[in-house]
Amino acid sequence: MVETKENQGQAWIKNQVMAQGLCTGCAACVGLCPYQGFYRDQTAIIHECDRTWGRCSAYCPRGQVDLNGLRQAMFDPRHIIPELGAVKGLYMTRASDPKLRDQAQHGGTVSTLVALALEEGLIDTAVLAGQDKNHHSESVAVSDPSRVASLSGSKFSVSPTLAKFNELSQGDPSRIGVVATPCQALALARMRVSPQPGDEARVKNLELVIGLFCGWALSFRELKRLIREKTGAAEINGMDIPPSKHQIMALQTDKGIIEIPMAEVQACVRESCRYCYDLTCEFADLSVGSARSPEGWEVDRGWNQVLVRTEKGQELLELARSRGVLEFKEVPPENLDKLKAASLGKKNTCVGQLEAVSGQKDDLIYTRREAVLCQ
Amino acid sequence: MTAPQLPIDPYNLIITGVGGQGNVLASRLLGRMLVAQDYHITIGETFGASQRGGSVMSHLRISTRSAWSPQIPHGGAHMVLAIEPSEAFRVLAVYGNPEVQVIWNTRPIHPVSVITGQAVYPSLEEIARGLTELSARNWPLEATARAQRMGNPILGNIMMVGALSAISELPLGFEIFERAIGGMMSPDKVPVNLETFSWGRAALA
Amino acid sequence: MPIVSSGAKGETALLMGNDAIARGALEAGVRVVAGYPGTPSSEIIQTLAGVASDHGLYVEWSVNEKVGLEVAAAGSFAELRSMAVMKQVGVNVASDFLLHLAECGTRAGLVLITCEDPGGLSSTNEGDSRHYAKMMEFPLVEPGDFQEAKDMAAWSFELSEKMRNVVMFRSVTRMSHASGNVVLGGITPGPSEARFQFDGDFMDQIGGPVVTFPGMVDAMHNRQLEKLAIAREIFETSPFNTYTGPDQPELLIITSSAASLYSREALALLELEERVGLLKLGTTWPLPPRLLAKHLKASEKIIIVEEGLPFLEDNVKALWTELGPEAGTKQFFGRKDGPLPPTNELNPDRVARGLAEILGMPSPVPDAAYGERAGELAKSRAPFRAMTFCPGCPHRASYWLMNWALKKDNRKGFVCGDIGCYTMGAISCGFNTLKTSHAMGSGTGVASGFGKFSRFGFDQPVMTVCGDSTFFHAVMPALVNAVHNQANIILVVMDNSGTAMTGFQPHPGTLSSAGGGALPALDIARICQAMDTKVVIADPFEMEATGEILLDLLDDEGGGVKVLILRQACALSPGKKGKRLFDMTVNEKTCMAEDCGCNRLCTRVFGCPGLIWDPETKTTRIDEVICVGCGVCASICPPGAISKKEVA
Repeated sequence: MVETKENQGQAWIKNQVMAQGLCTGCAACVGLCPYQGFYRDQTAIIHECDRTWGRCSAYCPRGQVDLNGLRQAMFDPRHIIPELGAVKGLYMTRASDPKLRDQAQHGGTVSTLVALALEEGLIDTAVLAGQDKNHHSESVAVSDPSRVASLSGSKFSVSPTLAKFNELSQGDPSRIGVVATPCQALALARMRVSPQPGDEARVKNLELVIGLFCGWALSFRELKRLIREKTGAAEINGMDIPPSKHQIMALQTDKGIIEIPMAEVQACVRESCRYCYDLTCEFADLSVGSARSPEGWEVDRGWNQVLVRTEKGQELLELARSRGVLEFKEVPPENLDKLKAASLGKKNTCVGQLEAVSGQKDDLIYTRREAVLCQ
Repeated sequence: MTAPQLPIDPYNLIITGVGGQGNVLASRLLGRMLVAQDYHITIGETFGASQRGGSVMSHLRISTRSAWSPQIPHGGAHMVLAIEPSEAFRVLAVYGNPEVQVIWNTRPIHPVSVITGQAVYPSLEEIARGLTELSARNWPLEATARAQRMGNPILGNIMMVGALSAISELPLGFEIFERAIGGMMSPDKVPVNLETFSWGRAALA
Repeated sequence: MPIVSSGAKGETALLMGNDAIARGALEAGVRVVAGYPGTPSSEIIQTLAGVASDHGLYVEWSVNEKVGLEVAAAGSFAELRSMAVMKQVGVNVASDFLLHLAECGTRAGLVLITCEDPGGLSSTNEGDSRHYAKMMEFPLVEPGDFQEAKDMAAWSFELSEKMRNVVMFRSVTRMSHASGNVVLGGITPGPSEARFQFDGDFMDQIGGPVVTFPGMVDAMHNRQLEKLAIAREIFETSPFNTYTGPDQPELLIITSSAASLYSREALALLELEERVGLLKLGTTWPLPPRLLAKHLKASEKIIIVEEGLPFLEDNVKALWTELGPEAGTKQFFGRKDGPLPPTNELNPDRVARGLAEILGMPSPVPDAAYGERAGELAKSRAPFRAMTFCPGCPHRASYWLMNWALKKDNRKGFVCGDIGCYTMGAISCGFNTLKTSHAMGSGTGVASGFGKFSRFGFDQPVMTVCGDSTFFHAVMPALVNAVHNQANIILVVMDNSGTAMTGFQPHPGTLSSAGGGALPALDIARICQAMDTKVVIADPFEMEATGEILLDLLDDEGGGVKVLILRQACALSPGKKGKRLFDMTVNEKTCMAEDCGCNRLCTRVFGCPGLIWDPETKTTRIDEVICVGCGVCASICPPGAISKKEVA
């Protein structure tokens, strides 16, 4: 499918995305106009817009997107692996600073890279995910590298990252770095490769995309209900799903760690995540996730795996190495295959869900079967 | 009954505009002027919710014989005073006939449907052509512009009454107006009203 | 002083029906007048309030119509001629008291004026209160023109005293808000020595207690029927029941109220004065049987032409049935089975069409070719004028924010409302925010219900709105219900400092009274605080702050009743009218117009009449004649192209 000008505007967002349960909450359609808004972890339509084409549906990751066209435009085709997208290299890293590692979800790699990029002036501002006092997801613009560490830690519901990016990018020219989930990164890729008429200057402000591995996101509404049931009024300091203990979700609270069975947590997964094919965030400069190794979870939980995809990503990682802010460890040889298998698993599940819902084999609502594997 | 004979009895006059244009004041004023000369006057009006940006219509029945229905029968208007130009068409669609005469203010008030882009407001030329087609005679008046210069756009309604006095067979001279307006306003407001009446009268003389 | 008050006996004045009624009351020496604003009735109290001190009247805008009737009844019990004024829906509010009042009776004359709205020109319904007279057994009169509006208003006090009961005087829009020549009578001031006598026994109408009580019902009801019989006899020879036409008409019109004017006009249009008789009834309950019988017998075809429900029609038919075979065979026509339409107001054309159909004549059709062409031109030259909020109306800002917060909250929350300018929250000018609307105060009552349904899996946030006047009129008891039952709702009081829809009358929350003097104002916030609800006060023109307050309130799930008072005066209020806060300008260069990112938000969605879309420049413009300078549009413009500058 070719990117068309007549992309139906808000009508597409409303009828083909939201009404179909496909909205990921990436907020790419928020912040460019008053017609959509984001609250808690939902994108909502505020007023009806009757334009026949608009940036909202042009950038929506569930729009009529030519995935392979995007891949060819953004990456060196020689590096594209069908299951994972472009891979220049696979690394295992962690922050050299133990204090930073303590605050982080796993190895603190993302926080380190963001702080480095700010310190070195590669970017002026970073868009990071945060949470307000009511545990509503929010997005934060950070220019001071020392603030980055305080925003460490995985958030399991969607942040309006792209709304913040949209807001910032409309200001004076600057270089913005974004830490993005797969759906957010896809929207940013659409912006980068096919900016809408008049939007080119704004999109140029996007300098760097650090991607996050993502299995799914939880629905805030459902999660809040669950947490209230289990913990009452306790503070939540963090959440994790340890892979070895993958039957439970562990909540870090001031009353210690509270564990909730995954079956209950699964019920809180966002509906739209079922229709996502991208585990390792293929449309980023580099993507970061949790590590696996024969050494076991107690060790792995303090490390990250990093997939480098572009020149820019490579340069940043090498800079981190030379500055000594990241520690590197040898990647076990079977890791790449394990990662491919995991990613393929998500792709197959996605295709299965899309088939079931659409009743089609090849035309899968927002994409085509052949585009799910990267080319 | 000492009232002078009317060209037709009852004589039916409609004043139309948008809420807030002084439609009601104009109809009361004309009513007073004519009651003072022993005519039977019946005025029918719609206001209330219609004032919130809606169309307003006053039907005046002027008769030497009796009171009549506050609503003029369809096709029964003899004269239309349109303080807002497009409202003239709304009135003529129901109450107009080939013999009707129309005095109309040229200043439009855009309905919300036009503001929101759902409808298009006709051009002045389209309005003029349409009214010429639908009436025996019609007179455009730049009442609002003139009234704004005199200090308040709402004075446009008094101008329309003045204009009517110039061309109507009804007895509506300056002295009759002066006596009527004196009973309706505080003394400090009377001079500007006399001036606007005279301007309207002169405009169509 | 207006002519209603100062006009001399014998003078001819051009009076609006409501002013004629007011004059009639003055001529009868009324002393106490109370009611609640409601179109088309409001001018009666407004006019009398304006001359209250000149004529020694007590005039009150009561908190609601029930209390208004109670206040007027007190006047009657204190031997002062009294009058209660309201519109048709107000009679429903007063009806509980009215039932008791009609049973126990009155002392000095008491007239209940109801001004009704066939076709619902300024109402959400076209209710007809005449049935109360039949149902609660007291007399009903309807003036047929403006002279009668005055004469019958005065006479109603006499009638009330003759039978010691309340009299319902029913007017309609085309009487109340229409004007005609009225020859004035002399004003006779009433006695001004008020006292309430109660030492007599229970059945003593002049000097006993005024009580309805179990055990007395049978006796009092019988007495009530006797009173009705007195009225019935008076009505047989009333000068307000008139007949014109031939002795043996081909068709008899029985009509009342403004419909009699349409009927006369229809007869003139069809030139039927020699063939059709017109029986105009001024006394429409109880029907005088001998008068009716005389006219019913003289014609085989009878059409009843009335505004409202087929009240007269049903009662005339019932009377005819009671007359038995002597009345002869009849064909009845009217609004029930045609040819008159069953709904909406009548007019000379509808009546003429009906008459023509019955008599097998061609309908009077104005020039068909002209009508067609004029209608065609009107489609393009007269764009539809939807109702909208006035420029500068605080409700536009309030609904903008409520809609924004509810949409952002994204849980299918909704707003229950009721009657006032803010009812327009249901249509596009209010961003289709209101999802239920019924009677005064119903919004809170309905919300009180919705707010208890979480036990049934109901998870939609519940909001309700009311005006400041409505708060006192009917919301307070519903609010008590919501608080006591711990309903989870947000009440937004849209406080624009007056009863705006009907002409900006005062109410218990405002400092002024009907006559313009100062009265203590009750504080809505303190009342809600006394009910132990969470209370927040905000200004809807402070858009950003108030929007956040709304979002926070919506977040407060399970917190019971929360009250948000949005305080900003009505654009038409005396303090604001004619005064500009800001001069507004649009920067045509930064205006984004139809581009992605704006798409004419201000003119296409926000819809203030002060903003015009200029198709030539393809930008927004400020209409300086319409704009009142409230400054709100500057807050919503996405590129910030609209700016406001404070007026010196």
